[in-house]
Amino acid sequence: MSQSRLDDLFAYVEERCLWQFFSRTWDREENIEGVLNQVCRLLTGQEPLRGTPQERLFYADALAMANDVRERFPWASQVNKEEIAFLIDGLKSRLVDVTITRSTNRELNHHLY
Amino acid sequence: MPMVLLECDKDIPERQKHIYLKAPNEDTREFLPIANAATIPGTLSERGCAFCGAKLVIGGVLKDTIQMIHGPLGCAYDTWHTKRYPTDNGHFNMKYVWSTDMKESHVVFGGEKRLEKSMHEAFDEMPDIKRMIVYTTCPTALIGDDIKAVAKKVMKDRPDVDVFTVECPGFSGVSQSKGHHVLNIGWINEKVETMEKEITSEYTMNFIGDFNIQGDTQLLQTYWDRLGIQVVAHFTGNGTYDDLRCMHQAQLNVVNCARSSGYIANELKKRYGIPRLDIDSWGFNYMAEGIRKICAFFGIEEKGEALIAEEYAKWKPKLDWYKERLQGKKMAIWTGGPRLWHWTKSVEDDLGVQVVAMSSKFGHEEDFEKVIARGKEGTYYIDDGNELEFFEIIDLVKPDVIFTGPRVGELVKKLHIPYVNGHGYHNGPYMGFEGFVNLARDMYNAVHNPLRHLAAVDIRDKSQTTPIIVRGAA
Repeated sequence: MSQSRLDDLFAYVEERCLWQFFSRTWDREENIEGVLNQVCRLLTGQEPLRGTPQERLFYADALAMANDVRERFPWASQVNKEEIAFLIDGLKSRLVDVTITRSTNRELNHHLY
Repeated sequence: MPMVLLECDKDIPERQKHIYLKAPNEDTREFLPIANAATIPGTLSERGCAFCGAKLVIGGVLKDTIQMIHGPLGCAYDTWHTKRYPTDNGHFNMKYVWSTDMKESHVVFGGEKRLEKSMHEAFDEMPDIKRMIVYTTCPTALIGDDIKAVAKKVMKDRPDVDVFTVECPGFSGVSQSKGHHVLNIGWINEKVETMEKEITSEYTMNFIGDFNIQGDTQLLQTYWDRLGIQVVAHFTGNGTYDDLRCMHQAQLNVVNCARSSGYIANELKKRYGIPRLDIDSWGFNYMAEGIRKICAFFGIEEKGEALIAEEYAKWKPKLDWYKERLQGKKMAIWTGGPRLWHWTKSVEDDLGVQVVAMSSKFGHEEDFEKVIARGKEGTYYIDDGNELEFFEIIDLVKPDVIFTGPRVGELVKKLHIPYVNGHGYHNGPYMGFEGFVNLARDMYNAVHNPLRHLAAVDIRDKSQTTPIIVRGAA
């Protein structure tokens, strides 16, 4: 069950989210971690972080994703906080694998933009 | 499915690494076309040059800046007026073209004096214009003309002017993409934070990577005005030189074209801590999402929802009229790079159109990661396509319409396949809600145009009959 839900989330991010494909490894890591932490907070009823400009940006991207996840996947309203956290962790790992670790993009680790 | 070696490429098998046909259960970890690499000898690439990427795409859009091309006339003419980016001050950038008109003797004996004279002449002829960008071209770079030194001298002689130099000759990169990079990085290094402007709103942003093609920027500006967001600088649609010097003052960088302008957004984030938000400005669904994100950043979500509701009420019925008539049509996108990933889902979601082939002139591997993630299975993804490949791909996927530039457009018209100008548009703007209805209208008019069927009839062949085309009126 969790695997199919993870597939749903991954397919959604693939289709909609430009933040996963920023230019460099460190940008992608920062975005995946930052946006998905906010998505986790939103889906588990916690207050999102909005103290810094970067946190407000992650919140903006996360809000769109959290709303879409609730609308597209009926299971999103039925899972508990632990499973949300588990799914988000799984999604982070999969995105890191696809967009960073095993990406063949030759520019990812250039030290300059 | 491995990468594809087309029949026409059998003598240049290296092309196989640049063409991918997406199959089920595959992703970019296994198959990612090589991109932003030198064109392979033997192919007829349709790329532009690095100088063109700096001048035609970015610098030449500015509405208050003389674009001095230090080189032969052709470099100036061929990067002038071939893209349609109007301005609200009478289209200054599209009316005039400037060149040092280098001839053989100047190449032999050096062109710096000629450049200096041309710069003074241009400022003298246009006394209201105080800003200039000077570009090197292939010959003036090869002979080593020091355009920065000349610019400094002219600025010393004329204290009221400011000049920016772009040293990016055509040969300096594999495509236009190099020119984007050079201009972006040069500008942030030399010009950002050299001026401060008055801040009039509590919400400020830069809008980056939108070049006011047929009024895109001006259409989107009506949204930002209604939301009360001050755009500090447009990079560079309908933009001014001095506004771009103030980019450090914005709270948020909103990026549409990440390929041509992502560099400056990244640097603004790194150096000034201004966050970068990437959005898609084409398509109803995407535009609404972009507005929602911008408003969420500023905490003005309700204003955003009101704007989206108004725009949907006004334009969605018109979009749906076209959707009903375009549903199931097959489209190819052969443009620069980002429009592949901006458009593939938006035409699918908003118009029911299926994108069956996409080719990028200057996209990087990052652009292919984006488009393959968004694109459908059974679609061809091509880096730096050549004309024979286009013919073969057309036979394989049989598109109903091709969004591409005028050069390739003329080629496909001879095959009686309609094309829509994917770079400069047919009748834009195409961004925003109204803009996407314009795109739908142009696609509808292209697909259902009776002339292309009539043009295919050869009256000398008695067996051919004139087709009767039935076409609804909008």
